Amino acid sequence: MAEIIVHRKVEEITPRRKYTIAVVLLLIAGLMTGLFVVTASHDAFTTFGLTPGGITRGSVPDLVLPTLEVLIGLTVLVGLAGIYQLFKGFGRFTNLVLGLSFFLFIFALLIWTASGKSLNLGGLLKGSLLLAVPIALGALSGVMSERSGVVNIAIEGMMLMGAMTGALFGSITKNFWIGLGTALLAGLLMAAIHAVLSIKYKVDQIISGTVINIFGAGLSSFISSKFMQTYEYLNNPPIFPRVPIPVLADIPFLGPIFFNNNIFVYVLMILLIVMQIALFQTRWGLRLRSVGEHPKAADTLGINVIRTRYMAVLLSGLIAGFGGAYFTLGSIGRFEELMTAGKGFIGLASMIFGNWSPVGAVSASLLFGFFENLGPSLSLLGSKIPNQFTSMLPYIATMVILAGVVGRGQVPAADGVPYEKE
Amino acid sequence: MSKKLYAIFAVVLMASMLLAACGQAAPAPTEAPAPATEAPAPATEAPTEAPKVIKVCEITDTGGIDDKSFNATAWKGVTDAMAEFGIEGKYLESTQAADYEKNINAFIEEGCDLIVTVGFLLGDATKAGAEANPDFKFTIIDYAYDPALPNVVGQVFNTDEAAFLAGYLAAGMSKTGKVGTFGGLQIPPVTIFMDGFYYGVKYYNEKKGTNVEVLGWDPVAATGLFTQSFDDQNLGKQFAIQLMDNGADVVMPVAGPVGIGSAAAVKERTTADKPIYFIGVDSDWFLTQPDYADIILTSVLKKMDATTKAVIKKVIDGTFEGGLEVGSLANGGVDIAPYHNFDAAVPAELKAEIEQLKADIISGAVKVKP
Repeated sequence: MAEIIVHRKVEEITPRRKYTIAVVLLLIAGLMTGLFVVTASHDAFTTFGLTPGGITRGSVPDLVLPTLEVLIGLTVLVGLAGIYQLFKGFGRFTNLVLGLSFFLFIFALLIWTASGKSLNLGGLLKGSLLLAVPIALGALSGVMSERSGVVNIAIEGMMLMGAMTGALFGSITKNFWIGLGTALLAGLLMAAIHAVLSIKYKVDQIISGTVINIFGAGLSSFISSKFMQTYEYLNNPPIFPRVPIPVLADIPFLGPIFFNNNIFVYVLMILLIVMQIALFQTRWGLRLRSVGEHPKAADTLGINVIRTRYMAVLLSGLIAGFGGAYFTLGSIGRFEELMTAGKGFIGLASMIFGNWSPVGAVSASLLFGFFENLGPSLSLLGSKIPNQFTSMLPYIATMVILAGVVGRGQVPAADGVPYEKE
Repeated sequence: MSKKLYAIFAVVLMASMLLAACGQAAPAPTEAPAPATEAPAPATEAPTEAPKVIKVCEITDTGGIDDKSFNATAWKGVTDAMAEFGIEGKYLESTQAADYEKNINAFIEEGCDLIVTVGFLLGDATKAGAEANPDFKFTIIDYAYDPALPNVVGQVFNTDEAAFLAGYLAAGMSKTGKVGTFGGLQIPPVTIFMDGFYYGVKYYNEKKGTNVEVLGWDPVAATGLFTQSFDDQNLGKQFAIQLMDNGADVVMPVAGPVGIGSAAAVKERTTADKPIYFIGVDSDWFLTQPDYADIILTSVLKKMDATTKAVIKKVIDGTFEGGLEVGSLANGGVDIAPYHNFDAAVPAELKAEIEQLKADIISGAVKVKP
């Protein structure tokens, strides 16, 4: 792995890449000039609401920006970055600058579109976070499993089962905690099937995952259409209420977005930190990763490869079950067939784009959520971009940003390879 | 070892296929109501002559049979006909677009007397099936073939007439001066709701000199909000939140089950002093979604059950011929639902105006399209 990191650093400072980035930055600045600055009307103002609707704590007054001036400022900033890159270069910060410039472009797009109107920026960001929650949980589930060398494409199926079970038992008991517990259990059981098939019986992990996805979709739809849609009391679970965190919820702007949510958002934050530290700073994480990179070496050093992989896959199932419960117990309050709508697969993609690290995976999910929510925002502001295109935006933007900024991924070397003890 | 592995693998695979299949085709409801028909038979003169039971087969789109929306409403037409005329009813659910053709062929094999395909998205598959099997009778919801096929009845609805009333009502109830809508896909059967809603609001503005704004759809530029999905409730929730964040206090999602997510969002946000209203589509959401009864102002009804039953009746009577079955305000094929819980909240004056408007649309005095 050390070898790869050194290689990437060398790659970053090649003159060719340096100049390419400089051209890209100047191109972005040019686009901003041509699309926004030239067409923006003088004396117009853009109003950004900073507090999401329905929340009173930590509210701040609207931000009113003079459209043209701010647009010029942003364009100059990106242009200067391009010139600096051309003559001197940002070195190892190149990718960071590229990413930031991309966001300045998006920000300029928002300011330009909302010129003379008002846009609730706080609501846009909070919505992005909420759309990203199930994706991020799916991505973390994937990281957990794949870091130990077991490919898990069954996240979608596990989430669906979690969502269905959570709704069913949450409705029966009228208690969301019991609903959540059974959702975790459902994820765990599905993961156990995956673990036994792929670790013990060394079935091709893609096939095992596909089987679980089909099984999860079939079983949850079956129970839903046979029972939950017919008997209303079986599909009426309580939803986890929003719990503002004392003090933090009152932070202006950030408080309402991040610290006035339900348990799913908080658990995601905690899980992100815990997993990032556990995987990369603890002995436990080192062992887990070594099993995913070079199981034979790990075995030689006395690490129980099979047991480590079982543990990782089961934990992955727990996280996926939790992510599934978000749909029914954290957001909608009832189960509908196939309601996860492919979020498990998007989570898997986020994991890959995020380079198999928890922070990267969650960042990619947030990006996806942001662009998914950006489409309707632009549309509401009267943008003329066709809605079919804005619906593609999350996929395109995530790909472009991550391919351009994150670069080549580092797959765990033994990912997808069953371990055969000799 | 490997034998055991294959055994487990096979069991899981088969179980999943079985369950997936069960989820789709639930044969149970087809059998039950049949006895209703047998009762009158002995009373009449010819008990020996075994009457041929007409078999009506419905194919849903990906929304599924219990989408509480148009697939379910069309199926209600079949079950109503089962109870009334003693026909036999069956359905197959499509889980993906590739299933349409497969399901049509399955019902051709089955020898169905009438195949009901639900939804615009089945338009091409139905056309192909009908042309390949000219002896079979088809009826499709939300699709008009031009030129008409001899063995297909297209059920179309002047939904904009009912949505016009809903738009007028929404404009009258809005306190913020903004009402919102969004669709599932930008296809005619969806946008016709949004068109009617939009022009209903405009008509209110014209009459009252107000300036109520419609968020989410502009029929002139043909741009608006669409989820591009009929499954993603979580996204539907977010769309409604965006509409409310932008000031809308009436929300009408035209996206089948995705609207459930929006209802959840409205229920979360509405308060006694700042009420936010929800308008359902296709069926009366007050009845089909009792969880959200407290926010449902009305629903734009598209009575696929009435038109489907009418087509079934024609098959029974032998008067079936290809063409159109149009549901309108005039024949009760479209309508708006009662106000239920909000009956007291809607001012009597507004109610009277809507009744008058309904009469004017039927008589042609008010045009729902410019």
